[in-house]
Amino acid sequence: MSDVITFIWAVIILTLLATIVISLYGIARRPNLVKKLIALTIFGDTANLIVVLLGYRLIYPVAPPILPSLSKEALKQFVSTAVDPLPQALVITAVVIGMAVNVLIAFAIIQIHRLYGTVDARELGKKLPAILRGDEQ
Amino acid sequence: MRKLIPLAIILITIFALAYYITPKITPQTDVRPLGEFYLENSYFGDYSAKSPEVVTSILWDYRGVDTLFETSVFFLAIIGSLTLFRLNKKQEKKAKQKPEEFSGGLTLVIKSVTKIIVAMILAVSASIALHGHLTPGGGFQGGSALAVAPLLIIAAYSKYALEEHGLDKTRALILRSIGLLGIVLVALVPLLSGGFIMQNQPVFPAEVGGQLVSGSLIYYNLFEFLAVGAGFTAVFLLLAIPEKVFKKFLRRVENE
Repeated sequence: MSDVITFIWAVIILTLLATIVISLYGIARRPNLVKKLIALTIFGDTANLIVVLLGYRLIYPVAPPILPSLSKEALKQFVSTAVDPLPQALVITAVVIGMAVNVLIAFAIIQIHRLYGTVDARELGKKLPAILRGDEQ
Repeated sequence: MRKLIPLAIILITIFALAYYITPKITPQTDVRPLGEFYLENSYFGDYSAKSPEVVTSILWDYRGVDTLFETSVFFLAIIGSLTLFRLNKKQEKKAKQKPEEFSGGLTLVIKSVTKIIVAMILAVSASIALHGHLTPGGGFQGGSALAVAPLLIIAAYSKYALEEHGLDKTRALILRSIGLLGIVLVALVPLLSGGFIMQNQPVFPAEVGGQLVSGSLIYYNLFEFLAVGAGFTAVFLLLAIPEKVFKKFLRRVENE
């Protein structure tokens, strides 16, 4: 029984790693800036999920890190079942800040589209001013 | 069909690798010592934050300075977005004017449903934020939920409906600044009584009128709720400026 659980655990971890590899491919190889942004959000969310997974416990029953009652008797039971709260606390801020940074990137892409009429990285390379491309003036 | 082949290869690789490493890994059944310290101390114990919600007590007490700086990253990201879409005073006034061919938003059914749902979202987000020290949730999550309400109004009515009722970009920015200022002030208050920055207990009272407020956690959650919700509202208001109007602004700048 525990072998099956360990197998599923391994499958989950490897699937997340594969998702990270695929999203990195998307960031590097897709020419469309919007698709790059989508791949970046997938990358960030997968990284957050892995961090949450670091604090998980493969036991039954497992509880969220919130005291069920304010009595000292319940504390021992609570500590033996609750998951690690530290990764969750780190991820909460990462999610909201990731959203704000994504908004910033989305704004930049919209502005690029307004100024150059395209979001294709290859087209942009031709249209950008020479000073941005690093050519000799 | 040809697209399925890489997918099948990835799946087979994952399952084969998982089968290979299963006997070699030991599943994690214990909490790390640091996590155990937080679990034991968050309400009871010598280093108590007087909050049964361990995640919130880590967020705003044990690792409060972390969160303070993450809030400043959030502040910078929003400032960056606003700078990219900056308008001068004349353009701002023009962006607030309704275009002549404005149709008035979506149908009556959607507008009525939106009215009910917006009220519910406001109540739920306030509940998430203000009960952040007791139940799952907190300022960040409540603020994100709060930002959905103006987004819904923008989609169902228009950005002009929001601005006519007084919630324009400047007011959203003022609300956000109040939130950030509140966080900084609450962080500095313990210095007055000889504590250190972002100290929670025993500077702030753990209970007010018999209700558990967990010292400073409720104030941080409230101010973060304001900052995140109003920050995203300002960004959404800028995003809702019609493309046609914005292109006109850009062309004028080019001609000058």
